[in-house]
Amino acid sequence: MNRLLGVLAVGLSVLPAAARAQDRLQYTVGLMASQQIVQSRVEPTSNRLSGPVLGVEGALISDRLTVRVRYGEGHVQPREGPDNVARDVVEGEALVGYRALPWLTLWGGPSARAYTIGDNNQRWLIWTARATGRGTLVPGRMQSFVELWGAFTGSVGDPALQAGGRGFNGGLEVRLAQSTPLWSRLSYKMESTHATGLRETVESLTLSLIYGLPQ
Amino acid sequence: MNRLLAAALTICALLALAPAIARAQTATALLDQGVRAYTVREYDGGVWLLRRALATEGANALGATDAARALMYLTATEVARNQRDSALAAARRLVVLDARYRPDPRLFPPDVLAIYQEARRAAPTVSIRALGDTAIKPGTESFIVRLGATASPEVVANVTTADGRVLRTLYQGSFRDSIDVRWNGLDGSGNAPPDGRYAIIVAPSARERRTGAEAWSLRLPLEVARPAVDTMPLPPAPPDSLLRPERGDMSGAMHALIPGVVAGAAIMLLPEAVSSADHASNARWIVGGTVAVAGVAAFLSHHPGQRIPGNTEYNRNLKENWRRNVAEISRRNADRVRGTKLIIRPGAPALMTGDTP
Repeated sequence: MNRLLGVLAVGLSVLPAAARAQDRLQYTVGLMASQQIVQSRVEPTSNRLSGPVLGVEGALISDRLTVRVRYGEGHVQPREGPDNVARDVVEGEALVGYRALPWLTLWGGPSARAYTIGDNNQRWLIWTARATGRGTLVPGRMQSFVELWGAFTGSVGDPALQAGGRGFNGGLEVRLAQSTPLWSRLSYKMESTHATGLRETVESLTLSLIYGLPQ
Repeated sequence: MNRLLAAALTICALLALAPAIARAQTATALLDQGVRAYTVREYDGGVWLLRRALATEGANALGATDAARALMYLTATEVARNQRDSALAAARRLVVLDARYRPDPRLFPPDVLAIYQEARRAAPTVSIRALGDTAIKPGTESFIVRLGATASPEVVANVTTADGRVLRTLYQGSFRDSIDVRWNGLDGSGNAPPDGRYAIIVAPSARERRTGAEAWSLRLPLEVARPAVDTMPLPPAPPDSLLRPERGDMSGAMHALIPGVVAGAAIMLLPEAVSSADHASNARWIVGGTVAVAGVAAFLSHHPGQRIPGNTEYNRNLKENWRRNVAEISRRNADRVRGTKLIIRPGAPALMTGDTP
């Protein structure tokens, strides 16, 4: 949790300064609260865990290029299965995006997810390529989005195993008031990563509060 | 022959010197020279000088008294040149200019006086005279012309346009001696006429004509001008960009519907594609359904194809305000135009009789 607060503090202090440094840059910062369902399969066993994850996000946006970072921490409890061990979850991503069309942004960058299971750690590092499509429902007030991604390389564990995966994220962003740049986002995310003998499928129902223009 | 040669030489000399003379001499000086030419029997040069004096316009033009004197000497000079018709025409102009003019029998021979009397008998008994260039404020001030008469004729005095259309009747009835007829610068509807050429035409009334009186009319040409007035431009009509759509926009509605429905469907269906092996939770239905419903709500908010009374009212108010502004500025401009003076420049009166071609 200390790391989460540290990232939040750094994000809030660095992003506005960076945005001021270049007038054409815009920035967003936000808080996320997710309920995650993790289905973890280690052949031949399977566990289903769920729990909250809190996180922060931020983005720097220029005319064409966007840099987006997200970081979250949480704790998931087992709901069924023989292995009744809870896990701490840390996840994050750092992506660079290119706005190819007004409604389409293409992304690339790493996405990481780590579990602490007792004294053991399991780290997934996936290099992803993504595409985000946005549509305006009410100009300046409401928009929808869908993001698809696929892994082009990745690794898990130590020694590292080759890993892959794919996923999507979609939802709705609503401006809370016309006079303020505060937005809320309701999103649903599903990611599936796999390696030899391993499969992790993570569902997230996330509610976010974002300052600035959502990207 | 010698006389003819002298006259020719005189005319040549006058023609050669004419521009310089015209520039250097006023109409009064020309009149004096014409009178002198008559007295020394230089009739051809005298005619030229007198006509030149009478043709002078503007600030140097002859006054009414001098004009009458010039016409009388022109009559006498033409009689001396045996140009009887020209003499009669000059005498008629004199009668029109001042019906009460009486030539001095000590200055003119009997045959000249006889021509003048003939012109008086043939001409109407009415004369017309304007004071000169006049600036009036339409509606409140008046341009005055004086009608003179030796009898008590019944006449009609109208202001007419250049094509003869009656703009306003100034006077109708009989009068004795003289009467001042006033024009306040407005037409029959109370509006100031545009700049241009007009005329005051005096003619016998219909009743007078039925009694068998000779047909005649006096025409006083007028040039009406108005100085440029600084008026405010009218505001342009509100552009379409300011108007709100009065009917729901189907295209805009579809643009709102499609992203919502597509994103909602994707959220509900994609979990199967991402991980068919694992069972997705009901959260996708909640989020997907919410997005789809938001898209439908956005679609309906455009009121596709329906009238939007609020926008219709807004547009009506916008146009009404614009019309009110236009009317108000037009009224102010009209007030300013009305407040400016109308400049009326009378020309030389002309008589038209039944035998006028």
